[in-house]
Amino acid sequence: MECLIGLQGKDFVLVASDTMSARSIVSMKQDQDKMFPLSDKLLMLVCGESGDTAQFAEYIAKNIQLYKMRNGYELSPSAAANFTRKQLADALRSQTPYQVNLLLAGYDKEDGPGLFYMDYLASLNKVPFGVHGYGGFFSLSVMDRFYRKDITQPEAMKLLQQCIDELSKRFIVNMSSFNVRMVSKDGIQNLGVIKPQPASV
Amino acid sequence: MALGSICGLQTMTKLNSSLRENCNLLNSQDSAFVNEAIYGSENFVTPRDIDILSNQKNLTDKDSNVKIHFDHGTTTLAFKFKHGVIVAVDSRATAGPYIASQTVKKVIEINPYLLGTMAGGAADCSFWERHLAKECRLHELRNKERISVAAASKLLANTVYNYKGMGLSMGTMIVGWDKKGPGLYYVDSDGERMKNNMFSVGSGSTYAYGVLDSGYKWNLSVEEAYDLGKRAIYHATHRDAYSGGVVNLYHMKESGWIKVSQTDVKELHYQYQEEKSRRR
Amino acid sequence: MEPKLTPCGQFIIFQARRYDSRTTIFSPEGRLYQVEYAMEAIGHAGTCLGILAKDGVLLAAERRNTNKLLDEVSFSEKIYKLYDDMACSVAGITADANVLTNDLRLIAQRYTLQYQEPIPCEQLVSSLCDIKQVYTQFGGKRPFGVSLLYMGWDRHYGFQLYQSDPSGNYGGWKATCIGNNSANAVSMLKQEYKEGETSLQEALALAVKVLSKTLDMTKLTPDKVEIATLTRENGKTKIGVLGVNEVEKLIKVYQEEEAKIEAEKKKEAEKKKSSS
Repeated sequence: MECLIGLQGKDFVLVASDTMSARSIVSMKQDQDKMFPLSDKLLMLVCGESGDTAQFAEYIAKNIQLYKMRNGYELSPSAAANFTRKQLADALRSQTPYQVNLLLAGYDKEDGPGLFYMDYLASLNKVPFGVHGYGGFFSLSVMDRFYRKDITQPEAMKLLQQCIDELSKRFIVNMSSFNVRMVSKDGIQNLGVIKPQPASV
Repeated sequence: MALGSICGLQTMTKLNSSLRENCNLLNSQDSAFVNEAIYGSENFVTPRDIDILSNQKNLTDKDSNVKIHFDHGTTTLAFKFKHGVIVAVDSRATAGPYIASQTVKKVIEINPYLLGTMAGGAADCSFWERHLAKECRLHELRNKERISVAAASKLLANTVYNYKGMGLSMGTMIVGWDKKGPGLYYVDSDGERMKNNMFSVGSGSTYAYGVLDSGYKWNLSVEEAYDLGKRAIYHATHRDAYSGGVVNLYHMKESGWIKVSQTDVKELHYQYQEEKSRRR
Repeated sequence: MEPKLTPCGQFIIFQARRYDSRTTIFSPEGRLYQVEYAMEAIGHAGTCLGILAKDGVLLAAERRNTNKLLDEVSFSEKIYKLYDDMACSVAGITADANVLTNDLRLIAQRYTLQYQEPIPCEQLVSSLCDIKQVYTQFGGKRPFGVSLLYMGWDRHYGFQLYQSDPSGNYGGWKATCIGNNSANAVSMLKQEYKEGETSLQEALALAVKVLSKTLDMTKLTPDKVEIATLTRENGKTKIGVLGVNEVEKLIKVYQEEEAKIEAEKKKEAEKKKSSS
């Protein structure tokens, strides 16, 4: 019942994650942050099995920071994504697989912005936009319809809002708010929390 | 291990940590020493040659002929407010439909500045929170200062995460006071750990949340907060058959925790009923 | 099942280890003889030289096994390609070098498997040096009798030239030399290398010049030397070993140059003589 959304623009990646943390039928926390900064210009969004999410994200984050310490430069977003994939794939064949789904948003000074979509089976794809969870059934078509490669930041925000509004209108599960962040050449920028806006009609 | 070394026994127990690999680098003399250190720090080791993950089905499967069923009935709650943290719990232990005890202590007093609550497997909670108490004491000895609530809860979360899927069952709140002020974390046997101003755990938690949410304010007075905690547990015991007994109420302050009261829910029932009829 | 040791077995291993570890312990003067001997071995090996230029890097190596009966199946004898962006040349015990180049290739491929991008140059060098270092500290082993020169390119630092020792020491260089008579070659490079303005073509001429003057032979011939270059073309790294004719041309240019200088000197001398 979790939802992670990401979309890439010309020179940025915009991401959003729902803020609910639920145990069985109870919502225990309404302001959970499901995003983990891996480095200055790399952000990971995680959802899935409770416990695994934080453990895996922290493991990857620390390894990527270790790489920076050892070598004096950071991993490129695509290298970081492939590293994450390998770790997840190796764990998948172990006694204790991590059951996590992720989005990775990064900015590289040569390759530009990049959004990577990965599921718990460790399949990795570079995508222009992607959604994890049931939210995908409602918002992907909206993205297919309105997304353009050269989408600007305000337009992307509008499209994101449109997706979230659709979720609140058609999806039975209540997702009251989303954390929004943007990754660009200036690093990770926190764009606060957005909520579904009541339909005008 | 001491007996093992006298007998010249080379234990080849599979450690589920990667520490094992590290000691392969050392020669046999050193590795015996390192092994001992590892046993010392990881004193709960999984048995070898047994696939715990698949064996677990025998214990948790309802149709299994193994007659161990973990009890899950409980109501516990804790919330932060202006004057610290309130912890309130019931005291009933059940085994299936049978009430095994009405006088269980579900608040575990880890040290004068830390409390843990108990929901799920009683043994799991008390064992691992005692283990946590040891780690917290060691932290004090090593660092000459008290452990933060964040660190203590993370220790517990990391420990139980190592045993994920092996049948541990616990939902606990770690409550304390450190340099940053009052602390409240939820930790469970999935390895989940989160921070919030209010939590309730156990089969009666939904009922407790109902009362708690409708009466909670940050600026509650101490007396109001005590009453809210007690009421929330009372109403949970009223609706949830697996919760009952007495309400144990604790208050975490800057100077450490105090136990505020222990009230039979029966008393509360008549008290609240009278209040209601008077208001009418 | 892991083998079980009796207490007696442990004792024997302990004794043996102590004996073996004599090879890599400090001498009373604070030296590690095994490591120094390994360096000594390299001092007698065929010369290798590397020069970093603006638009590329080059490695040049002396070829010693020039028996005409040798079947020249392998075109390159001392220069090894490691992966798309790097090559190295070796000085020292060839058998050891083969082990190390194999390790280098493995390290590079493992990195690519992990990150799906080529390993940055210094990481490869430093990873290999971690392996080399182990053999200077843990008992019962002899260090690798090999020094290496590496040339490479990566997205972080562009063209690079590295050298590594049997001790596990390594460093980045603008121009350097290992092997026989390397000290002379290095001092010559120091004099002639123009920082930041050397083109690959000039670097090639310099390499031939230095080799001609430092190898113990009267005349440099193409079969005695092996030269490889690393350049970038259309966003791809190109590593190539120079053909016999190309090397021959370089040598010829050098000799003409040398003859010219010689002639000039003679003229100068005659002028002096006539004027005095």
